[in-house]
Amino acid sequence: MNSLTLNIESTKDQFSLVINQCLSFSGIVGIFGHSGSGKTTLLRAIAGLEQQVKGTIAFNEQLLLDSKNKQDIKAENRNISMVFQEPRLFPHLTVEANLDFAIKRCHHSSLAKKDIIELTNISALLGKEVTELSGGEQQKVALARAVLSEPSLLLLDEPLSALDRQSKKELLTLLKTVHQKLKLPMIYVSHSSEELQQLAEQLVVIERGKIIESGDVHQVFHQLNNTQLIKQQTSLSVKVVEVNNQHGLVKLAFAEQHIFMAINHLTEADKLALAQFNSLRCYIFASDISITTIEPTSSSIVNQLYGIITKISQVQSQVLLTLTCHQQTFFASISTYSLDKLSLSINQAVYIQFKASAVRTLTI
Amino acid sequence: MTEISDDGLALITTLKMAGLTTFFLMIIGTPLAWFLAKMKSKSKVFIEAIVALPLVLPPTVLGFYLLIAFSPQYLPGQIWQEITGQQLAFSFSALVIGSIFYSLPFVVQPLQKAFEQLGSDYLEAGAMLRAGPLDRFFTLVFPMTKASFITAASLGFAHTVGEFGVVLMIGGNIPGETRVLSIALFDHVEAFNYAQAHTLAISLVIASLVLLSMIYLLNHRPIKTEKVVS
Repeated sequence: MNSLTLNIESTKDQFSLVINQCLSFSGIVGIFGHSGSGKTTLLRAIAGLEQQVKGTIAFNEQLLLDSKNKQDIKAENRNISMVFQEPRLFPHLTVEANLDFAIKRCHHSSLAKKDIIELTNISALLGKEVTELSGGEQQKVALARAVLSEPSLLLLDEPLSALDRQSKKELLTLLKTVHQKLKLPMIYVSHSSEELQQLAEQLVVIERGKIIESGDVHQVFHQLNNTQLIKQQTSLSVKVVEVNNQHGLVKLAFAEQHIFMAINHLTEADKLALAQFNSLRCYIFASDISITTIEPTSSSIVNQLYGIITKISQVQSQVLLTLTCHQQTFFASISTYSLDKLSLSINQAVYIQFKASAVRTLTI
Repeated sequence: MTEISDDGLALITTLKMAGLTTFFLMIIGTPLAWFLAKMKSKSKVFIEAIVALPLVLPPTVLGFYLLIAFSPQYLPGQIWQEITGQQLAFSFSALVIGSIFYSLPFVVQPLQKAFEQLGSDYLEAGAMLRAGPLDRFFTLVFPMTKASFITAASLGFAHTVGEFGVVLMIGGNIPGETRVLSIALFDHVEAFNYAQAHTLAISLVIASLVLLSMIYLLNHRPIKTEKVVS
């Protein structure tokens, strides 16, 4: 398995980044942090674009930086490519010439240009000028260009932050497909928990230049529920059982039970995405989950699960309940008033309920 | 020799001088402009001031110091004489060297501005596609700032053609060698040969006007390659 070992320090304008971490690429690695947390600096340090980085960086066996021994492989020789927040397509070249720029400089090409163009769905754009493209199209070309450079590691620095929701969904699916098909190690940096929840297998959280959490994406999100960094949520991967277009519901497998997710309208792209990935990443905000102590037999709320309260944490007038149901952890936020009224306690069995519309995803 | 062929000779000398000067200016000015555009230390201002000096100094001041430097009594003149076996002052080579100093800001300033505006975004993108520094310069920077290169070369050329004070000091008015148009014009006026002076003057005005119009036309055209993503 590919691995990236980071042991670095970088100080600039009174901000210091100190990272000691080994990342293994079993899937896309996500880096989450708010603006100014140092996540982009970290990515640029890996790429070799950041000056004044001290320490060591190694990708697999190859040492990219060893400041003590004055070894610093130049960005162009690191065999790393990057997709930036703004597409940075070369404006004096057409779309195709932009792709050719990457191909020409890739010495051991193994990918066929045609395949990548097809994969990224940009064949209609090839002859166009870069300035004629929409933001989403530009970012697709930038991704194709980076892939055609055939790096051993692809870095993505908030590539979707300037796009509308529809383009975001499309590119997220595309990124997952590219990762799946090419087995290309990727690091995806973002301040959007929603994007990372969809993409990342492992998540690293950076705050004030330091890593504060890292591990499996769902577990890390659940850890973050105790911080102010994200909106409290339950994060889960579930298999799609069936799509019920008549009721606008997607039936998701959950242990022996089901969870229903509401859908408005499935586009062709949505259907493709559903068919392509056997599991769907979803999240439910803690504020969208409620608790009853007796079985709700006649409720319009379609999702009702039987679970056990494992933790009760109180912050001012709000209470965050941690519940377990078939090895899945759920989070519900209720008021202290409800806590008292229902006299909830740890190890108590309760019904967890949430509407189908409370189950969210960025995939469809 | 007739007066016209004298002026013709002056024209050839002028074009040769301006052409060579522009050629050397592009070679020297481009890396200098690049260096200044990327420079972050405080000494940048000082180098910028030196480059800009010819804009404010009377050309005779520059010409005076160059004349001294070029004379066999001083080091630059001595080195030149040892290498080439010829005196530097009052030679065509002196004119070209003098013109390089004199026209330097006209080449460096537009290039520096263009490089600064281009920023580092595209260069980083190029590096991330395995393009080395020279590769990036010739395949990204040059095509994206082509208009500024044309402006710089044209301004450098035009300004050298119009030079008077420096060539007067270091040239010596030798026909076919250092006698350029502006000096020829001055000679005609001194000799009360106004008709000849008028012909030369009006042709210089027209030629300069045409050249400048072409530069401005080029710069006013919307050039998409100069657009920088913010």
